Amino acid sequence: MIRDITIGQFYPVDSLVHKMDARAKLALTMMYIITLFFIKSFVGYGFVLLVLCAIIKLSHVPLKFMLKGIRSIMVIIVFTALINLFLTKGEHVLWEFGILHLTIEGIVLATQMCVRLVMLIMGSSVLTLTTTPIQLTDAIEALLRPLKKIGVPAHEIAMMMTIALRFIPTLLDETDKIMKAQQARGADFETGNLMQRAKSLIPILVPLFISAFRRAEELANAMEARCYHGDENRTRMNQMHMKQMDWIAVCLCVIYTGVIVALRFLPVV
Amino acid sequence: MNMVKSEHLTYEYTRITEDANGEVHEKITALSDVNITIEQGEFVVVLGHNGSGKSTFAKHINALLEPTKGTLCVKDMDTRNGDLLWDIRQSAGMVFQNPDNQLVATIVEEDIAFGPENMGVEPSEIRKRVDEALATVRMEQYATYSPSKLSGGQKQRIAIAGVLAMKPDCIVLDEPTAMLDPVGRKEVLETIRRLNREEGITIILITHYMDEAVQADRVYVIDDGKLVMEGVPKEIFSQVERLQGYGLDVPQVTEVAYLLRKEGIDLPADILTIEEMVGAICQYKSTI
Repeated sequence: MIRDITIGQFYPVDSLVHKMDARAKLALTMMYIITLFFIKSFVGYGFVLLVLCAIIKLSHVPLKFMLKGIRSIMVIIVFTALINLFLTKGEHVLWEFGILHLTIEGIVLATQMCVRLVMLIMGSSVLTLTTTPIQLTDAIEALLRPLKKIGVPAHEIAMMMTIALRFIPTLLDETDKIMKAQQARGADFETGNLMQRAKSLIPILVPLFISAFRRAEELANAMEARCYHGDENRTRMNQMHMKQMDWIAVCLCVIYTGVIVALRFLPVV
Repeated sequence: MNMVKSEHLTYEYTRITEDANGEVHEKITALSDVNITIEQGEFVVVLGHNGSGKSTFAKHINALLEPTKGTLCVKDMDTRNGDLLWDIRQSAGMVFQNPDNQLVATIVEEDIAFGPENMGVEPSEIRKRVDEALATVRMEQYATYSPSKLSGGQKQRIAIAGVLAMKPDCIVLDEPTAMLDPVGRKEVLETIRRLNREEGITIILITHYMDEAVQADRVYVIDDGKLVMEGVPKEIFSQVERLQGYGLDVPQVTEVAYLLRKEGIDLPADILTIEEMVGAICQYKSTI
């Protein structure tokens, strides 16, 4: 059952968004997230929603998969909404009880925060649903490369992410094996209160960690045996190319950012 | 030119253990005075039981370990020379025991590309080498699979392909079949033999399975860090009692022949395969 957990959530279909250069996608997603925090008006949110819908349509990923991401952070959304709803001070008080007060300003703020969160998750879901983990790590390495001058270990970060991704299924398998081995010897993971259950995890975690360290050492040896010595003189088999489509997307993103900034600072609405 | 030549190779390390009186420093000699010369194109098997020092020897060939005394040269390159480190590792590739702990990437072809990428090979050339290596180990259809979806034998063949993509002259395999099921073992051994025969790659197979040694050109037996026997398989396996003294078993057929001889049935001492056994028994039958 433990094997059902999927890593990443790449949805393999053919679409324009899937074909885009991963670096461009990552940069645009970051731009999108930043601009979300610029928006103050409902017209602004309407505009973003329109753009988001267009991109989702282009990605050929069913809306159902996008909404899955939201379900997992539902608690955070509800929590944020409640806090903003009842703790925002304002002039138009509708209801008051102790430190709790419901104001018009509160309702507006709560709605905005929720919309912002949902859009944030949907936007980043588009990235992870249309980009394989490998492309994503390559993109992170490429985008961090300029920061190497100030000491950011771009290659090392990407290598660590690749190895982590590579070993998630292996370690899941191992966890499963250890759990079964401990259960066969009478371990009980399912009953008892929270403390007891947490304690019963120790006989799983200790062997898991020991084995992970052993694996790490063997892997280091194997990597060295294959001439690994950091990113000095290292080449890559898969080269990334910015295509015409990617440049168009970048241009569209610039226009989009312009509109968002205009909506924020021009006193039209 | 010798592919691998070790002269008086000795490796010592200090093991630190703790007992009631505090830390105990114990000097362990993992290899002592080992002289082995392996020629280009040979299929060599190094036998030894667990802890005999055979893996330590394997790690010296790839310059993962440095000799304490004596020397080891790969294609006349001394492994103690740091400037030649990457040349040595490119010439003598290494495949390890656990298939899971030597694959780096999340996609098969990316993993095979790892070695050439580290060597700074041109991207188009890497692509070519990856496709060739995949074809050599007959895994073309798995190019875009995740290693976690493959069987142990398949993973080990990918590890071999990863070494092949570096265009080595010699491959050292450190107990590559120890963690595999019989099917996986067969796949890997067939691949190794084909590489030796068709590609002319020198193979150094470290193992404790006797039947893997039957087809070797030469067999070396290491026990307690010392080289105790060397010769062609027939010479080695005819000495059943001596091998058992080193904690090693002979191939099953050889043992049967040995037991029959003890009972007074006159069979040759160097029977290694079932076919030879059948022939010998038929011959024996016709003499009575």
